[in-house]
Amino acid sequence: MEQIIANGLYLGAQYALIALGLTLIFSLMNVLNFAHGQMYVLGGFITYTVVAQLGLPFLLGILVSGLLLALMGAGVEKYLFRPVVARSVREESTMLLAAGIAFFLDAVILLLFGEKQRGIPKIVDGVFNWDFRIIMPYDRIVVGLLALAAVAAFILYMRYSRTGRAMRALAQDRTAAQLMGVDVNRYSMFGFALGAMLAGVAGGLLVSITGVNLGMGGPTSIKAFMMIMIGGAGVISGAIAGGFILGMMESVGLTVLAAYGDVTYLIIFASLMVFLAFRPQGLMGKPWG
Amino acid sequence: MTLFKKLLGVGLFLALVLVLVPWLIERSGRWDFYYTLTSVALLSIASAGVWLTFYIGRINIGQGAYALVGGYVSAILVTQAGMNFWLTLPLAGLFCALLSVLIGLPILRLRGVYFAMVTLVLTEVVRLTALALPITNGARGIVNIPLPTELSLFGLTLIPDFGTLANPKLAFYLAAVIMMILSYAVLYRIVHSRLGHLCRSLQQNEELAASIGVNITYLRILAYSISSFFGGIAGASFVNISQSIYPSSFQVVDSVNFMLNCFLGGLGYVFGPMLGTLLLYFGWDLLFTTGKYQLLIYSSLLILLMLVLPNGLLSLRLSRKAKQPAQASPDKQPSGATP
Amino acid sequence: MNPNPILEVDQVTRRFGGLTAVNKVSFTVQPSEILSVIGPNGAGKSTLFKLISSFLHTSEGEVRLKGERISDLAPHIVARKGVVRTFQETTIFRAMTVRENIIIAHHLRAKASLAGYFWGSAAARQDQAAFARSADEIIQFLGMGAIANELASNLPQGNLRALGIAIGLATDPKVLLLDEPFAGMNHDETMHMVQLVQNVRQERGITVLLVEHDIPAVMKISDRIVVINFGEKIAEGTPEDIRNNDKVIEAYLGREDDAIGM
Repeated sequence: MEQIIANGLYLGAQYALIALGLTLIFSLMNVLNFAHGQMYVLGGFITYTVVAQLGLPFLLGILVSGLLLALMGAGVEKYLFRPVVARSVREESTMLLAAGIAFFLDAVILLLFGEKQRGIPKIVDGVFNWDFRIIMPYDRIVVGLLALAAVAAFILYMRYSRTGRAMRALAQDRTAAQLMGVDVNRYSMFGFALGAMLAGVAGGLLVSITGVNLGMGGPTSIKAFMMIMIGGAGVISGAIAGGFILGMMESVGLTVLAAYGDVTYLIIFASLMVFLAFRPQGLMGKPWG
Repeated sequence: MTLFKKLLGVGLFLALVLVLVPWLIERSGRWDFYYTLTSVALLSIASAGVWLTFYIGRINIGQGAYALVGGYVSAILVTQAGMNFWLTLPLAGLFCALLSVLIGLPILRLRGVYFAMVTLVLTEVVRLTALALPITNGARGIVNIPLPTELSLFGLTLIPDFGTLANPKLAFYLAAVIMMILSYAVLYRIVHSRLGHLCRSLQQNEELAASIGVNITYLRILAYSISSFFGGIAGASFVNISQSIYPSSFQVVDSVNFMLNCFLGGLGYVFGPMLGTLLLYFGWDLLFTTGKYQLLIYSSLLILLMLVLPNGLLSLRLSRKAKQPAQASPDKQPSGATP
Repeated sequence: MNPNPILEVDQVTRRFGGLTAVNKVSFTVQPSEILSVIGPNGAGKSTLFKLISSFLHTSEGEVRLKGERISDLAPHIVARKGVVRTFQETTIFRAMTVRENIIIAHHLRAKASLAGYFWGSAAARQDQAAFARSADEIIQFLGMGAIANELASNLPQGNLRALGIAIGLATDPKVLLLDEPFAGMNHDETMHMVQLVQNVRQERGITVLLVEHDIPAVMKISDRIVVINFGEKIAEGTPEDIRNNDKVIEAYLGREDDAIGM
């Protein structure tokens, strides 16, 4: 039992980090970033390059991942999403653009890093063992804590910094924020950069545990969609809740259902549908319509 | 359009796909085109389904799921129950339609991005399920599916045994094209009957549709299950042509492509998805020669297309007919659930 | 008063979380009556309206049409029973022409099944012809002949509102619910609309229940008026009664902008 909870928390912390980035972008621009998983994988490969190829420290790798992804996110917003959002009359266009970017990043990752699974040496050795009730390698604990710290830093940033407050105003009511003098373009770009950065950091953390490979992008995006549907799209607390809930469900499912083959996701999806039938706005989302 | 013009158009199209294309292939000896065109025909059936969900104002990125389910249903019935492929075809479609009613009941209340998200997740969940279940044989898939056998009624051979044919490729092509024509005939009838008008009313304003007495829940489910039926039969046929199915036979990329086919061909035009599928499939095939750069070029073109024509190829026509700016958009209404 | 009201609103209550938006509101509507519900902004008019048309479920109480409970049914069922609403945001089918809008709104009268429409059965063809005829009648009745083939998205505000009423009429309702039919209209447009609504009642015998801000128009058009404030009914009576009701004057005190400005 304790083991399941510990695994769930470890997964949940990482998932929350991914979901936060996705939900931030969604809340600011009403754009569903299909490429989020690819950004996450790219972050993993960048950390891999910095740490395993260049032999630099792990934390520096994460920093570089975050920064490069932030730059890329800003560019993607400014040169791709902004013009399309401005001119399109249908939601499909931004979705297809996002899908195009996802394919593009997949292609880039394939060309730059190949199809192989890549990992870096363990960042910390040893295994934490509490009477065999909780067994967890130290590196997982470190990564879990780092993810939690990043989530906390993000929340504090959104709550107390000027930029964070402006972004929250923008997310709540675009028109009102505009009237209040918030520079919508600037903060949309900033928000996209921040969202991409979170994906990059999460990817960098991941590479130290399980490694990364090309095929992880799409499934990661999909997990992130599930999280924000659970929690409520566009709501920060919802993304965090969704992340931890999915982490916990996965942890329980993998343990309890192991005997029945891996049907965990089928069951999670079925319960998600039942849940959405009663609460289409998710746990924390505002009711629509 | 007058009836005569319509009949002429249909006649020309039939002559083109049933006579001219086979003749050209015969003359040029490019037998591989049969496979390509068969694929296009089948995929465009699945795309037609997606188009119908667009028509009720839903962005459907889950058609890959139904194609996969349909494929497995047919493959399992053929290989394990020894059923005739031609009988499994409607069964696969019906199974998908039934499944889509169960899935649609909760999720069709969602709109816009939310519906799109759930359907996308659905594609992935079906793939994972196919990996996990014993009956689908996991990642190894189901292979060596026999070719379609003879279908006869009262001793009269309706469809010959494909295994004994000298040219099964041609047979597959003809079968696929006829199925495509039937599917689009159904779609055309739906769109141009009152049913289609009701779908349009749903697309434009669900609340108003409900208040003039349209049973929106029923209509949404109906459209979605027809859509899924198309997905199911397309998947089933595809699997029997390639004689194998794996969990990766239809995945998220395919679901996105089905949507792209509709978008590219035009969402306001019944035969749009057919055109879109043809363009996209041939485009992708042409890029095959670029080897490892195929996906890079393809995705760059897609991004470029969105940048230049964010409202699809159809917007070219619309901008000329400036009188109809509002061919637009179910989606300028806020995303969310109906109350 | 007629002991057989067409519509009864009986102790209807709706809570949102801790907030009671509509509190035990009761009134009745007589056949072929024009009854208006007024009240200051945020008084709960819109919520009440949605409760009657069943777009919201009641927390307590019920709405009855000719004695039959209609609250908490699916909206399309309520419409089928004859209570049809038009909308506050001039919602119509924007990408259809005026005529198409009206034809599609005949859905409730369709006799043929959907399958019949698919195969083009005789009943379906009869329906189509009947709908087209009826649509033309409505177009003529409302004087919309000149704009019948315009795309709805190209219409100015006033015509949109009239189209909303045309859509309502096409469903052949017993009770027509109009949500702020005069909002955003100038004096002439308002007077034209008042005339239209009165014609609807006189020539078609349809009961009209409307929710409105524009007090002068309401005074002109209504047989009776119900006033609500903070979710509760504070007065009910003829326009003359309401004009002289202290509670109503108190509720609107300091809100003359609402009473005069619109």
